[in-house]
Amino acid sequence: MAELECSEVSQGTENARLISSPGRRTFLKGVAGAGAAVSLMSRNAWADGEIGFWAKDLPKDKLTEMFNTIVRIRWYERTMVDKMITDPKFRGYNHFYPGQEAVATGVCAALNNKGSFDQLDVVYSTHRPSGHAIAKGVDMKKMAAEYDFRATGLNGGYAGEMHIADPSCGFMGADGMIGPGPVIATGSAFAFRARGSKQVSVNFGGDGTYATPAFHGALNNAALLKLPFIYVIENNLYHQYAHYSYSCPMKDIADAARTYRIPGVVVDGQDVFQVYNAAKTAVDRARAGEGPTLIEAKTYRYYNHWGAPGAKAGQLGAFGYDPLAITSFRPEREVRAWMQRDPVDICRNTLVNWGVLTRAQADEIEAAAKQEAIDASAWADQQPFCKPEDGLKHVFVEGAVLARQFG
Amino acid sequence: MARKSFMYAVLEAVQYEMRKDPNMIWIFELTPPVASTPGMPVINLEKEFGRKRVVNTGIDEMWMAGCVLGAGLAGSKAVTYIPYQGNGMVFQMLQNHAGKLRSMTGGKASMPVVFILEMTGQTPGFAGQHSDYEIDTYYAHIPGLKTVIPSNPKDAKGMMAAAIRDPNPVVFLWADGLREMMEEVPNEQYETPLDKAALRTTGSDITIVGSGGGMPEVLKATEQLQQQGMKVDTIDLRVLKQMDTETLVKSVQKTKRLLTVDQSYYTLCPGAEVIARCAENVDGARFKRIAFPDAPPPAAPEMFLWMRPNAGHIVAAAKKMVG
Repeated sequence: MAELECSEVSQGTENARLISSPGRRTFLKGVAGAGAAVSLMSRNAWADGEIGFWAKDLPKDKLTEMFNTIVRIRWYERTMVDKMITDPKFRGYNHFYPGQEAVATGVCAALNNKGSFDQLDVVYSTHRPSGHAIAKGVDMKKMAAEYDFRATGLNGGYAGEMHIADPSCGFMGADGMIGPGPVIATGSAFAFRARGSKQVSVNFGGDGTYATPAFHGALNNAALLKLPFIYVIENNLYHQYAHYSYSCPMKDIADAARTYRIPGVVVDGQDVFQVYNAAKTAVDRARAGEGPTLIEAKTYRYYNHWGAPGAKAGQLGAFGYDPLAITSFRPEREVRAWMQRDPVDICRNTLVNWGVLTRAQADEIEAAAKQEAIDASAWADQQPFCKPEDGLKHVFVEGAVLARQFG
Repeated sequence: MARKSFMYAVLEAVQYEMRKDPNMIWIFELTPPVASTPGMPVINLEKEFGRKRVVNTGIDEMWMAGCVLGAGLAGSKAVTYIPYQGNGMVFQMLQNHAGKLRSMTGGKASMPVVFILEMTGQTPGFAGQHSDYEIDTYYAHIPGLKTVIPSNPKDAKGMMAAAIRDPNPVVFLWADGLREMMEEVPNEQYETPLDKAALRTTGSDITIVGSGGGMPEVLKATEQLQQQGMKVDTIDLRVLKQMDTETLVKSVQKTKRLLTVDQSYYTLCPGAEVIARCAENVDGARFKRIAFPDAPPPAAPEMFLWMRPNAGHIVAAAKKMVG
């Protein structure tokens, strides 16, 4: 990821960056930014010719698993979109992730997602959690049931989409708020450091999180305390219904890292291997006690902020006017242009090109993922509804609170 | 007069004041200050007054609240619309600054500002953070803030006009469940007082008190009770601070029975304050409050809708008290 224009960066005493200019140069800048991360992490490795393209070391089964994860996310979400549009009995309120699959997959592929709780790396997610959850290892069937508020769903029907959580695989939870997540994630990182653990805490956040005071609080303290913390900004260009130019004065949010003297990496969020490379560098750095990294993945969501306005069953993406957007909405050509760089296609083509998969094998994996999502959705439909009075439970660890709605 | 939504009615009041006062500003995120209604011109504050005065900001509610407070301290009228996701993020600005500055400066700080704090639509399924209804209690507790909670478009317009003209900081609680409500609202500007509860029906058997997003169910229950022959004083609080004690006490002195209804959590719900004030001033009355249990709202509609006070709960409770 760092072969272009990297010498200028790696020789700098600070996290030096190239001057921004439009077009290809902007991309080069991103690549160089990734180089900066490497240079800060270990100059010796860099000098020894370590270029940071860590995907080179991955065995075939791991690469195949990354493709599998991408298509599982894609088809889970497409199945949910179709369900939302065609099944009047489905009650979920989803924020769809397609277009961004390579980010969750690439980051989580660099994490420890299995084993005992005191060994797992943890992930804090957003109001758009499906991709992060699946990439971290959350059970798809239970998720599907939770999205329709079933008693046997992942969180017993208390969570819905925006609050799903499964600490048993280090998925600490979705969050409907913009701001507090990254701060809480640094708290977990603080605990890891305090108890001498090699665990890493990752926060996913959108471009909208840049504007929150929490952005500063999280990175400032993580940098000061050298916490094993990785802040992954998924810059999909829009926070809720506004373009990120409404809330961030820089084109690259990763530029903010300079302030904290930590690596700020811009990465192509449509290419899972580029994301993996950046994440692996950041994870190694965090585990080595060298502190946090800010990764900005340039990406795009194929659907609107919330729900399925503009989407059609069986069709990928949502187009046209979102009535909720009113004053600021996405041009359809922008959506279609981004879809030309689809993370599923890029991953598939790369692996075919590398000789890891044949097209037929890739198609087989994708078909199986689609079937898994359909089965999960069907299983969810068979699950029992919640008992009303159970709403009084889980307020405290013990017991239940009193009903107060009756006279 | 025309049929207008809550949003249209409020923006009409704001538009009128902004046309009169070229210094007045409006800060928002997520919810654009845009509304339309049949037969009336579309209101778009951003378009009409430009981005110098009307700004769509990043997701930083603390800044939004601080910005209008600072504008007020500098002599400009200012309003911010904080969407429900962020209505707790502004707490410090209101509790430690807006609420205290008048007092701390010995009366020198001027804050002619309005904080519109949206409360959720209490949509089943949104769960926890997006379907709670609790900030009425939090913000009504703060001294120095006038805290109002209109329950229909007509009151909302008049109270917004009054709030903008009021020299004190006003918390304008916006129960989002009322967003779709339409009713006849006058076109001209008018003020609805910021210190008066509204008596919606009169009767001698029982006093039922509700507010904001809970009022539609309270009124529905009142109608059912009246059909069954009960005579009900139904009061819409409209103002949490400073609460209209006189109207409440007068009613309970007559009925000797007080039932309060809140969508907010039971502990310290506005009804608790209503009951305390009446208990202090009326001898020999009976009291009951119904409210959302002290539990975060769960996602599943089966649980959530069972927990949220509705007309059925209110009717049953009233009959128990009167019967």
